[in-house]
Amino acid sequence: MRIRYLLLHAYGTGGTIRTVMNQANALVARGHDVELVSVLRHRDEVRFPLDPRVRVTSLIDERGTADGADDAGPHAGGGAPPAEGWRAALGARRDAALARSRPELVPAGEFGARYFNRYVERTVARHLRQTTGDVLVSTRPALNVLAARYAPRSMVRVAQEHMNLSVHRADVRKAIAAHYPAFDAVAVLTERDRAEYAALLPRTRVVRIPNAVHSLDQQPADHGSRIAVAAGRLYPQKGFDLLLPAFRQVVERHPDWQLRIFGVGERKGELRALIEELHLYNHVFLMGHTSRLDDELAKASLYVLSSRFEGLPMVMIEAMAHGLPVVGFDCPTGPSDVLTDGREGILVPPEDVEALAGAMSRLMGDRALREKLGAAALRTARDYSPAEVHPRWESLFSELLGAAPGGTERER
Amino acid sequence: MSPHAEIERVWPRDGRIRLVGALHGHTPGGAAESWQLLLVRRDHGDERLRYDAPLDGARFDASLPVDDLALDGPPSAVWDLYLSSGPGPGELRLRAGRHLDDIRGKKKIMVFPAQSVTTDEYGTVVRPFYTVSDNLSVECASGEVPPHYWEVENPEWVD
Repeated sequence: MRIRYLLLHAYGTGGTIRTVMNQANALVARGHDVELVSVLRHRDEVRFPLDPRVRVTSLIDERGTADGADDAGPHAGGGAPPAEGWRAALGARRDAALARSRPELVPAGEFGARYFNRYVERTVARHLRQTTGDVLVSTRPALNVLAARYAPRSMVRVAQEHMNLSVHRADVRKAIAAHYPAFDAVAVLTERDRAEYAALLPRTRVVRIPNAVHSLDQQPADHGSRIAVAAGRLYPQKGFDLLLPAFRQVVERHPDWQLRIFGVGERKGELRALIEELHLYNHVFLMGHTSRLDDELAKASLYVLSSRFEGLPMVMIEAMAHGLPVVGFDCPTGPSDVLTDGREGILVPPEDVEALAGAMSRLMGDRALREKLGAAALRTARDYSPAEVHPRWESLFSELLGAAPGGTERER
Repeated sequence: MSPHAEIERVWPRDGRIRLVGALHGHTPGGAAESWQLLLVRRDHGDERLRYDAPLDGARFDASLPVDDLALDGPPSAVWDLYLSSGPGPGELRLRAGRHLDDIRGKKKIMVFPAQSVTTDEYGTVVRPFYTVSDNLSVECASGEVPPHYWEVENPEWVD
């Protein structure tokens, strides 16, 4: 099969980008022809391991300009609007005018809307009209809407949704209802998502395929260290501003424990100030980005998820693959789509700081409990192994190709 | 790991800098009472400050008032921290640092708050920090600690 993925920014470091590359690697290893099309490009190299047989092309090159679509993941939207950047470099006056206009199809409430305007839309539309291949996979609402409108009907078209429906703003939900029926299938991450998207799109096929962890062959944690770990972009969605006061309560009872938060982001300064205000500088460390997260997870004894909402919390599942028990908020499409309270970890009501502190304290004081929950976490993580997940994409694409009218023709 | 004074906690608060830790790679002899916290001004080795730091076994728990650095010291300086067996011939100096854990690059990870000392004439901020070699030093700089974000505006945690 010839499979094309359409991404906003293949050169960033977000979760969507990582999981798409995992899928691409698995499909190319199975002998398929895979191409990633990046709408924007502001870096020379991709940031995740990518099989060299996967081709990467980009539509708008913003390298050497002031723009930056770094981390243009599903939650991008904070920070200042982009500067003139590549737009200033556009030669034709008409292009420059289009680049300053609001997008026509992409709803303003899309978290990545700031990267779109009519010039970007037209560039993507042009590309889509000329695309050849068997399967087109688009990866976020803005691109899904454009693919629904412009991608050739001769291709199998699959929309990926990495976010829970309730997280999308009203105009995005409206666009989803209007445009997604054009797809052969809409793929979502959790069972709850599947039910919600299916209710909005009664005549469209909605399938659930979770993201895969990158490996199940991991060094197991031994649960003896006094290290709790959390990870994610330093951004309000991840709730580290709730985790810090919870850890403040815990540290009084468990002063030899420390919390390591891995990740970078625009709220680092605020979090640092909160650490100082709570006098947590001996116990909580903002570790920054690590390229060896596996090693860091293996050193820990428990994983904390403090998010306000999630899509599918992949780093948590990676932590479970190391046998780490989870303490977390039971937030929308968060941990409870993956694990059961009391079995692989302890879940508490969303944004309940006291309860989060209580759950952490309970696990810190009970190594046997950490071991028991951790063993169950490792078993549950197996459902997300590459061997379990990746074949499902291949079967979905084959099935849709076979089922489509003139399907054999498309196989060419 | 060569002998040094391993830092476990640093508490820069309430006008003092308090250090808690233990000597590593050196078994102190009898004179536990004579040990001191020693500050040596970088590039000015003859400028030193000393504070009593009696040992409990190999453990120390010592502190100094930031006023000594901010008001009486030069407005801009770096002081390197040692545990010293006491002044005089045969003095043993063990550099303070944190080397026994797995975290490398503490300069950017284990960051401590600055304390501000202001007189009528000038302000000085004093901040302990880990060097690129994970040793502990204290920096003095003229100026004031900028207000924290919550003092100037309400944080917009959810947008």
